[in-house]
Amino acid sequence: MTNDELTHAFHSDFGFRISSLCKIASLSLFAAALLFAAGCGGSGSGSRGNVLIYAQSDDPKTLDPISTDIAEAVHVITNVFDTLVTYDETTTDLVPSLAESWNTSADGLTWTFKLRPGVLFHDGTPCNATAVKLTFDRLLVPLTKSSSEDGIKQHGLLAHPHVYDAVRPYQSAYSMIQGIETPDDLTVVFKLSHPSAIFLNNLAMFPVSISSPQGLAEHGRNFAEHPVGTGPFKFVKWNRGQRIVLERFEEHWRGPAKVKSLIVVPVQENATRMQRLERGEVHIAEGLSPAELDVLAKNDELVVQSHEAMNVAYLTMNVEKPPLGNRKVREAIALAIDKNTLLQIGYGGNAQVGVSMVPPTMWGHDKTMVDRPFDLAKAKQLMEEAAAEEGLKLPIRLELSVMNQARIYLQQPLPMAKFLKDSLAPIGIEVSIQGRDVSAHFDALMGGEHQLGLAGWNSDNNDPDNFLYSLCDQDNISKAGNNLSRFRSDKLHALLIAGQKEMDKEKRLKIYSDAQRLILQEVPVVPLAHTQIRTAHVKGLAGFQLHTTALVRFRNAHFEAAQ
Amino acid sequence: VTGYLLRRLGHALATILVAVTLVFLAMRALPGNPLLARFGQHPDLKQIEWLEKQYGWDRPVHEQLGTFYWRIVRYGDFGESIARPTKSVAGELREKVPATIELTVAALVIAIPFGMAAGTAAAAWKNRWPDRLCTFGSLLGVSVPVFFLAIGLRAVLPWFPVSGRLPSTEAAFEPLTGLFTLDTLLRSRLDLLPAVLHHLVLPATALSTIPMAIIARITRGSVLEVLAADYIRTARAKGSSLLRVVLRHALPNAAVPITNIVGLQVGLLLSGAVLTETVFDWPGLGLYVKAAVVGDTDYPAVQGAAIVIATMFVSINFLVDLLFVWLDPRIRVK
Repeated sequence: MTNDELTHAFHSDFGFRISSLCKIASLSLFAAALLFAAGCGGSGSGSRGNVLIYAQSDDPKTLDPISTDIAEAVHVITNVFDTLVTYDETTTDLVPSLAESWNTSADGLTWTFKLRPGVLFHDGTPCNATAVKLTFDRLLVPLTKSSSEDGIKQHGLLAHPHVYDAVRPYQSAYSMIQGIETPDDLTVVFKLSHPSAIFLNNLAMFPVSISSPQGLAEHGRNFAEHPVGTGPFKFVKWNRGQRIVLERFEEHWRGPAKVKSLIVVPVQENATRMQRLERGEVHIAEGLSPAELDVLAKNDELVVQSHEAMNVAYLTMNVEKPPLGNRKVREAIALAIDKNTLLQIGYGGNAQVGVSMVPPTMWGHDKTMVDRPFDLAKAKQLMEEAAAEEGLKLPIRLELSVMNQARIYLQQPLPMAKFLKDSLAPIGIEVSIQGRDVSAHFDALMGGEHQLGLAGWNSDNNDPDNFLYSLCDQDNISKAGNNLSRFRSDKLHALLIAGQKEMDKEKRLKIYSDAQRLILQEVPVVPLAHTQIRTAHVKGLAGFQLHTTALVRFRNAHFEAAQ
Repeated sequence: VTGYLLRRLGHALATILVAVTLVFLAMRALPGNPLLARFGQHPDLKQIEWLEKQYGWDRPVHEQLGTFYWRIVRYGDFGESIARPTKSVAGELREKVPATIELTVAALVIAIPFGMAAGTAAAAWKNRWPDRLCTFGSLLGVSVPVFFLAIGLRAVLPWFPVSGRLPSTEAAFEPLTGLFTLDTLLRSRLDLLPAVLHHLVLPATALSTIPMAIIARITRGSVLEVLAADYIRTARAKGSSLLRVVLRHALPNAAVPITNIVGLQVGLLLSGAVLTETVFDWPGLGLYVKAAVVGDTDYPAVQGAAIVIATMFVSINFLVDLLFVWLDPRIRVK
């Protein structure tokens, strides 16, 4: 090939290429224009009337009641299933649900429940004693050894054919159940190993949502994404990460729900959830921060509903990490925190000061208990004494663990941590803040790796035992236990065990009052705040009522007719 | 040529293997495990220990790594998600990857023409206002964080939906390929196409800014370099117009670096635009990986995603190399 020919080939080749390049470019340009033009149709606002759209911060992982712990799943489960007993619409009284009535034997060991006749599951089968027994068996059946090398994946791994997932977080809450008998179709008898004051409360919790035996048999492993219960809404469809569609169950024993369908959408970012509510793309948005809710409250189209809740935010002080084993140090820390200012910083004032671990909305909370006043002088003095005892030189350094994500009880964890850091500086404690993502945070705290830590707890079952025993008893010190301060006291332990077994409410009140006072005195933890639940929704939505136990129920929710 | 291809394939496999092993080890080094995340507020030590044994996490890490690769070889899948029991990771990825591909393609459809046009204009009018505008714009494009951009875009373009792929009420639609634009056609639901495109606009625009800015800057640099060359001066001297010179001579010669950078960007975008997908609730690979790493510590999900991402990245680089051969005959001659 001559030089000239080469040049020529080079050019013609490029000529071809450039023209195709230009074509690609102009084609893309055209497509881009199309993309924008197509978008200019109507806006996609959620249609009101028979469809209610609820936006929450994440998609559930499983909808099998026995296998979950997270609120996003519970919100759906509560509306697809019913429990034997439940909480009243507005109060925290236990009322009959699938069980019509019940009685207890004199020794407190036998509980007999009469089931409501004529209740149907969404698949049309009757809800009877067999279904109740199956529900509890699935939750309680013990783990068995697997000889299969494929381990978890194999069927029949667990001793029960209808347990498909070995993770059952709430199993221990029902460990007092020794046996279940079903003398007839509508009678269920529970035999307990010891009298339990919390048993009935626990029956109102979602893990014992009564599941359809036929649904379990039919869907098998897929029951986790195709739940069948007796609740006011029946499951229709789940597009993971996009939406869960529920439809009202016309044959619900309490009469059909008011809206025809309920759509639950995951919207991860607060700002996005807020904007979707403002645009009317969703009707209810949960889990927004105090500042965001304050903005929404000013919007004429929206309502911000607030309601008392049952939770506590507290500071844990790991007594196994010196010098926090010294009570004077812990007391000094408690004295140095101005809780009223903390409420403003952490919650915009929408919370109550915490004195006890038991929230004031719960029975058993001792109202007569008086908190330590905010007293820097006394705190300093105690620190000096403690330093002398421990042979330390002030200031000492302590690490404060905090989670990066907000929780209902810790709505602005980082600002709160910074406030605590500033509060402890004047008494000779230099705090460094260690932030972690929430599951790593609790992992570290349960493992006892922290010195100081911000933590909190939501009620499961409306009983003080759920706060005091879970969070402060020595039984719950382990790498998976919630006594994060690792505080041991035989006296407290005796009280808390007595409280579980005592059936007389007056006597239990006294026991829990003593326990709360003992905790206040020994300061393994500093209760900081009890928050409210606040949720924003569109105006004109009626019958949607927040509940102290954080139950989210849609049965009565509906849109008022437009004027 | 076959030898070259085989060598490239070998490199690609080695790269994937190294990347996936590193991800595997990194996940094991992270604090926490998938079970603690699942038990949440109610960890049950007895159950956790039993399950850890079942999953083999009590074994040495190299043994676990071996089991992991053996499983892929033997069953050809990545196992089941631990966070979402009963869901196979491979099945989940089949749903997530198309969502990300659709978003990526839409973003490139915006980024490539606008980026190239802006870069070319900047080069042609060097140091004049189009150039300054382009420089400023691309600086803005790479530096504005996505969540901020999202809020801005929603305010400027209020008639586009805030997030998601379809309206929440549109539940009956059954995707086939997972590319919704295509699925509306395949499922004879062309009535949904406007809504699908509608939902694409904001996330695609937000995702396009960074590649657009980078493409603009690379285009500008490459075109400038070519414009300074002797043969361009010759062409201009022969009376070619600036437009003709740029289109016929400068751009084609700038094609190789531009393709190179576009290829890299495609790889990056496909590996999951975590922030964009989070802000716009786009159920793609980015959101999947984020949940698996940050929230769930879901080993199988992270490992499966790592394999897919590494494979996509490596394949795209390979394709880009092939494209070079097509675009630049000099490479072929060698």
